[in-house]
Amino acid sequence: MTSIGTGYDLANSIFSPDGRNFQVEYAVKAVENGGTSVGIRAKDGVVLAVEKVVTSKLLKPGANKRIATVDRHLGVVYSGMVPDGHHFVDRSRDEARSWRDTFKTPISTSDLASRMGGYLQAYTLYQSVRPFGITAIVGGFDSELEALVDGEVGSGPSVGAGGKVEGKHGGPGLYMIEPSGMYWGYYGAATGKGRQAAKAELEKLNLAEGKLDLQQAVKEAARIIYVAQQDNKDKEFELEMSWISSADGPTKGRHMEVPKDILAEAERLAKKAISEDDDEEEENKDEDKMEE
Amino acid sequence: MDHRPQAWGRPRDDVYGAYDASYMNTNLPNQHTQSPIVTGTSVVAMKFKDGVVMAADNLASYGSLARFTDVKRLRTFADTSVIGFGGDVSDMQYLDRHLTELGIDEAYQSDVGGHNLNARNLHKYLSKLLYHRRSKFDPLWNHLLVAGMDEDDKPFLAAADLLGTTFTSPSLSTGFGSMLAQPIMRKYVPDEASVENITKEKAVEVIKECMKVLFYRDARSMDKYSLAIVTKDGVELSENKLENQSWAFADRIKGYGTQTV
Amino acid sequence: MFRNNYDNDSVTFSPQGRIFQVEYAGEAVKQGSVVVGLTSKTHAVLVAIKRNAEELSSYQKKLFAIDEHVGLAIAGLTSDARVLSNFMKQQCLSQRLTYDRAMPLEKLAALIGDKAQLNTQHYGKRPYGVGLLVTGVDETGPHLFEFQPSGLTQEMLACAIGARSQMARTYLEKNLDKFADCGRDELVRHGLRALKETLVQDRELTVENTSIGVAGLKEPGKKALEVFKVHDGADVKDWLNSVADDAEAGGETTEGEGMQVDE
Repeated sequence: MTSIGTGYDLANSIFSPDGRNFQVEYAVKAVENGGTSVGIRAKDGVVLAVEKVVTSKLLKPGANKRIATVDRHLGVVYSGMVPDGHHFVDRSRDEARSWRDTFKTPISTSDLASRMGGYLQAYTLYQSVRPFGITAIVGGFDSELEALVDGEVGSGPSVGAGGKVEGKHGGPGLYMIEPSGMYWGYYGAATGKGRQAAKAELEKLNLAEGKLDLQQAVKEAARIIYVAQQDNKDKEFELEMSWISSADGPTKGRHMEVPKDILAEAERLAKKAISEDDDEEEENKDEDKMEE
Repeated sequence: MDHRPQAWGRPRDDVYGAYDASYMNTNLPNQHTQSPIVTGTSVVAMKFKDGVVMAADNLASYGSLARFTDVKRLRTFADTSVIGFGGDVSDMQYLDRHLTELGIDEAYQSDVGGHNLNARNLHKYLSKLLYHRRSKFDPLWNHLLVAGMDEDDKPFLAAADLLGTTFTSPSLSTGFGSMLAQPIMRKYVPDEASVENITKEKAVEVIKECMKVLFYRDARSMDKYSLAIVTKDGVELSENKLENQSWAFADRIKGYGTQTV
Repeated sequence: MFRNNYDNDSVTFSPQGRIFQVEYAGEAVKQGSVVVGLTSKTHAVLVAIKRNAEELSSYQKKLFAIDEHVGLAIAGLTSDARVLSNFMKQQCLSQRLTYDRAMPLEKLAALIGDKAQLNTQHYGKRPYGVGLLVTGVDETGPHLFEFQPSGLTQEMLACAIGARSQMARTYLEKNLDKFADCGRDELVRHGLRALKETLVQDRELTVENTSIGVAGLKEPGKKALEVFKVHDGADVKDWLNSVADDAEAGGETTEGEGMQVDE
């Protein structure tokens, strides 16, 4: 790497002559070594999924959750340095709580992404800290219902300051935040070791059309984690998934683990799709016939 | 003319005489809440063999004015416990928000398999909070009843008040209820042993009887009330109205209002 | 001469995205004598080898009770361990005081993990130079957590850390399926056998150098606890005798990664 030996990469917040902050770029390297994380924004909810590499047989199966609940309606998954991920989750929870304290209403997915983007960016500004070695995917479902301000009396003004905004509001949200603090909204997001393959699969889903529903998204997310894991076949892994639907969907607006039976079915289909894929490759046919 | 900022907005000394600075004396003792403002009246609750029944009416009074008539004073926690609030309604709302956040915090963990706070944990926490606030001389002006199941799935019922005092009994009530409802409930559950003989239906009946007596005798009460039944299967929360009211006796009451004879 | 420029502090990433200071702190764990932890459906057990600085000095304690239901094993810098153990004791007490409940182990592990992570992200701080095994029994049964200086805490079925612990881990992996249904004493014996695997030639487990900590449920499915207790000296004699003659375990498996030799 050209940066090595120039001295511009030895401390955080230092610009190199061509305007790069190498320490942030190195933090991204830490992310690229981590297990793959995927998020899908479907038309009626959000799915988060992560490939948990089993580093030791002695680890308790099914424990050591990598997807965290930040507020009732918000979930976070990340790739990279796990302790940094915990720090990120802790801070996210603090932000969600302080938002509730101030505004008496849950924080929206976009506002949480903005707050956390700002937080990560602050860790690129000083020599006294290092950037986060994670890329986080934040998924949430902002309520579409008329939310009462706790303790409100009467209906308030209908127009003007304090008046209600007409039309549809709320809905699913998905954001990905990088070590630099940069974040974008996504229909489908992927990070970690298998991100290239995962992104290729996500693009095939045409998520922007808004046709994929939550139940399909669960299956696709599972399949994509399996596809992204293909280059790393020898490593054992666990698939962990969570989802968030609207208030009238299966999770009632809450972020929760995908139930065991649905997860098992999604994994079964994923394994089947993978093996079919392998067969097709062997027969040298056109790839990717299955949309399901 | 005095143009110094500290004189801004004050009467001119040359016209009105020197300002009496003792009005701005800050050496007075600090004062926090001295009395509740908008209040809820009694909460009543009693145990039965499989759980606890609790009730509180929907009135928030502003002094003797029946100010708000649809205030829910029972709130559930994690679908396993019920808390009934007597006393100041804004402090109740503060506690409600506080409990919401506590519930969110606890749910971070419990995905993995049930570290939920049970009613005993909740009561301990709330009593510590109330005691902490009274020790700051800034009390939360409430009297709470906490009902649910304990760690052995036995019915749990306990009270905590604005001083941080706690106590527990097979039947409990706050406010006027401690005079009017408690004797009724004690007839049925004088001690822990007798709880075993009380069915859910019987407990609901007794609590409804208490709400009736309280409505007739307590001038800060109303005839709409929330009723919660908590068992190990969860919480059933319902809204009720006192039916078949009879005010015929009111004719014979003397010594009130405009009546002079 | 080659010099690693990226290993001076814990706020500098190497070009590969590694933080050497944190990795070096992980090496400090391997300087400590070995501790082993394992769990069954009803019990959580810690066993450890204690060291003495010289023949006539006393042995450094390796196992500590944090609360009635939580025990701790340490490998690495003892003084760092004390900071964390005091913190854990305080947190456990605070849960008893404010909620009248036993601290959930998962929460406890997360707390020390988060505390340790902060030391890896701020200049002027250093990572803790100690590895921990946090074990005990809570509402959801027995648990075992491994804590690393990076702040990574992971729940394990069984684990070993410290000098030559690879041999113990190999034993644990080999016998992992048996642990779940083990009774209390059988679980301790598995722990001791794992410990034996790490011994260098001519060394053996004695009542002086062996510590055993046990917590568990009195009966499966019931809530009554056998509180965490550390057994030393004469208390461990019977357990030691019960594994004294199974020579088939044998310390001859000379795999391992040629780690630091004891003392």
